[in-house]
Amino acid sequence: MRPLGALALVAFVAIASEARANPVDAFGLGSRGTAMGGAQAADVSDFSANYYNPAGLARAPKLELSLGYMGADQSLYVNGVNSGIDPVKGLVGGVVAPGRVFGIPFAFGLAIFLPDDFLSRVNALPQDQPRWELYANRNQRLYIAANVAISPLPWLQVGGGIAFMAATSGTLGITGSLPVLQAANAELRHEVDADLTAIRYPQVGARVELSRNVALAFVYRGQFSEKLDLHAILSGGITLTPTTPLLTTAYYNLETISVSAFLPQQAVLGASWQITPNLRTNLDLTYVNWSAYVSPVASINVKLNIPPPSFGWPPGIAPPTTPAPTTILPLNMNDTLVPHLGIEWRALERPKWEGFVRGGYEYDKSPIPAQTGSTNYIDRDRHAFSFGLGLRLMQVLRELPGDIRLDGHVQLSALFDGTTVKSSPADYVGDYVAGGHIWNVGGNVTVGF
Amino acid sequence: MGAGAVVAASLVASVASASPEDIFGYGPRSVAMAGTGTASSDDYEAAYTNPALISRLRARTLVIGYQEASFNLSASGTGLPGPVGYDPATGILIGVGLPIPFGGRLKDRVGVAIDFYTPTSLLVRGNIPYPETPQFVVLPDRAQSLTIRAGLGLDLGYGIRVGGGFGALAELDGSVVVATNSTGSVGSTVQDQLVAVYAPTVGATFDLPFGAGRPFRLGVAYRGQLEARFSVDIDATKLSSLNIPVLNISGIAQFDPEEVAFEAAYDTKAFTVALGATYKKWSAYPGPLEATTTCPAAMPMCGAVQPPTLAFHDTVVPRIGVERTLALPRRTKLHLRAGYAFEPTPSPSETSASQAVDPKSLMLVNVPTRYFDASRSIIAFGSGIEIPPLTIDTYGQVHVLVPRTITLDAASPASQSGAPPPPPGPTTVAHVTGTVLTFGMSLGVKF
Repeated sequence: MRPLGALALVAFVAIASEARANPVDAFGLGSRGTAMGGAQAADVSDFSANYYNPAGLARAPKLELSLGYMGADQSLYVNGVNSGIDPVKGLVGGVVAPGRVFGIPFAFGLAIFLPDDFLSRVNALPQDQPRWELYANRNQRLYIAANVAISPLPWLQVGGGIAFMAATSGTLGITGSLPVLQAANAELRHEVDADLTAIRYPQVGARVELSRNVALAFVYRGQFSEKLDLHAILSGGITLTPTTPLLTTAYYNLETISVSAFLPQQAVLGASWQITPNLRTNLDLTYVNWSAYVSPVASINVKLNIPPPSFGWPPGIAPPTTPAPTTILPLNMNDTLVPHLGIEWRALERPKWEGFVRGGYEYDKSPIPAQTGSTNYIDRDRHAFSFGLGLRLMQVLRELPGDIRLDGHVQLSALFDGTTVKSSPADYVGDYVAGGHIWNVGGNVTVGF
Repeated sequence: MGAGAVVAASLVASVASASPEDIFGYGPRSVAMAGTGTASSDDYEAAYTNPALISRLRARTLVIGYQEASFNLSASGTGLPGPVGYDPATGILIGVGLPIPFGGRLKDRVGVAIDFYTPTSLLVRGNIPYPETPQFVVLPDRAQSLTIRAGLGLDLGYGIRVGGGFGALAELDGSVVVATNSTGSVGSTVQDQLVAVYAPTVGATFDLPFGAGRPFRLGVAYRGQLEARFSVDIDATKLSSLNIPVLNISGIAQFDPEEVAFEAAYDTKAFTVALGATYKKWSAYPGPLEATTTCPAAMPMCGAVQPPTLAFHDTVVPRIGVERTLALPRRTKLHLRAGYAFEPTPSPSETSASQAVDPKSLMLVNVPTRYFDASRSIIAFGSGIEIPPLTIDTYGQVHVLVPRTITLDAASPASQSGAPPPPPGPTTVAHVTGTVLTFGMSLGVKF
């Protein structure tokens, strides 16, 4: 046990899992989990256990490879105008590799959501500009999770890993001369000294079988905040044209510190009840520590020195002024408790194949308080209704002694219209009505060996 | 403009790359055998060395390891500092090998492998100083980047194996718009996307004489060029009435050349010797930086400062690696490994001057391009012990830079800003020496 424990510990510390969370938090991972409303903590053993509960990996009976695709079309509106939130779509897949070490069931798992168009996207906006804070960019991310799990007792499985995100710190220098009347002749160059550093956070899970038909689970997902800590220096001369004398020199020193992505810590209590041999129901309650959410607006410290020429600025030329300091208004999100309910019915059972029907529901109360002031972080309560079908084919080929599973899902998230009323009638954005819906469709194939 | 520039810095840093394996190799066995493995790998390392050999996997394997490299590099001569300081490159490797248990005709013929290497303190080092700053362009910072590779191998029978996979990097494409906002202060809108770029890895091996299980094996592997570019346009044209051009903060953060590796191996349970060579197409390397401003189409001869140019040339890296396996009691095995490789430098022995603007006079000047590198003799060694189901491996490499003299076009007098660049000044020379030490250990389990 000791060597195994040591290896597991090293794995926990080392295994990389980048950008875990946001698309998966919103839309689930894998068709079975999404179809069952994300209620999976006590009833998962496929690749999606890397998200729902790493302990479930130790229950996998055999090596499994999964591959699929999902897409979520986000139709969100403000005052009847589509906000143009990009869809979230990409490949879904993973591996579960079970085995035994020193006689103890052991498993390694890997899962990925790979967006079609990019690995991540940042769209930093001023805090007064309306944006769907939880849907616009937070879901546009690569997700990779890797975990190990063991089952030290027949009724107990534990597992986990360390996920990591990246933080940026660096310095950028731009030097040279800038002829303001002939910008094409600017003589500028740049250098960069920047690091993308790792932020590690844990995810652990446990599952306890109370009886053959009832299991409980606990999962903890750590918090991460992706910081952006930057320092830029721009220095050089300003001229009218390349051949005219120096007008003045410009020196701009800017430090900015911000949190470009934040994932709150989460704790999940899950239960699974096998009501009959063909009917199972699951319930998960997820506590989300949204109150720790950090405003994404940057804190900026600026030093700007562009002394006017001795004869004053030429007509028509006005230099930039020192930016007014940004007053960051606290977001004050509220913690939430998210219920997930799922049901699975084995509707058909034949010697060579089985058919499943699944349904689920999830309620995400918005953690964002009423936006009555100058900020405009838009959100609404989300009701997610899901439905799915599954087909399991057994012993299809001589080369494939295991099974093939085909799973599909459809999920409709309804964000019912609500009116944001501003406390100031002079607010330049004004009152607005926001709401919408999200269709999430996908499927995956799992081959078990 | 400044605000936008700052944001650009963050974006530049958000670039992943895949070069440590190109410098040291990947995995305890391959690194200890001087980067050989194109015809001799037998585990997860094959995702890099030759995916065809992933089909040799017979047990599920999970390996965790630690690797550290230190750089003692020196450039001496007129205006040069002597030792050029670099932080050690430390990282964690994770290897996963999965034989796919098909039945029938596919039994014991298919395997999948996934390789990770992640630096411990950072994910990517994005350090691109001005060209006059002494720097070793091929070695230290290329060793500090995240690496991801995956592959699949298939045993076709008759001693023929084929495989394919990919290496992955991320490159950045973005824009920053800086403008005066409704309150009269400077605000910015930033959009950036981190986009995955992939390069294929394919390979094949042939057991000789033809037939499975023969001790002689030929291997060939192709690895596509991996280039992590960043490109961020900074548009501050609406910041004020100052006529500011769009700034192009762009360059190549990481670059792995296109490679073809050949190897012949004599491979038995007790003894392995591998002899090979790797062709690297460094001539495709465009240099680390692009111009900060570009000339408009209507004005192709504008005064924009041109980035330094690097005329890298292709190289061929010969390698040899040996492994002796000793069977010990209780199914325990001891592996002793060693190897040697010679990595010729792709960089030229003469560098032309780069353009800069003198901060005092605002005149265009030439500055020496202090991009250094030298050929390396690589001595590798390592050991491994198998105590089922565990494996413990240690390995190391000593890279000795062959002393080299590089001729630099030196600084020249200033010319009027906007005028044609001045001619290069008198040359100086740089004497380049150094060593690179790397060591690592790993713990694996077969399950």
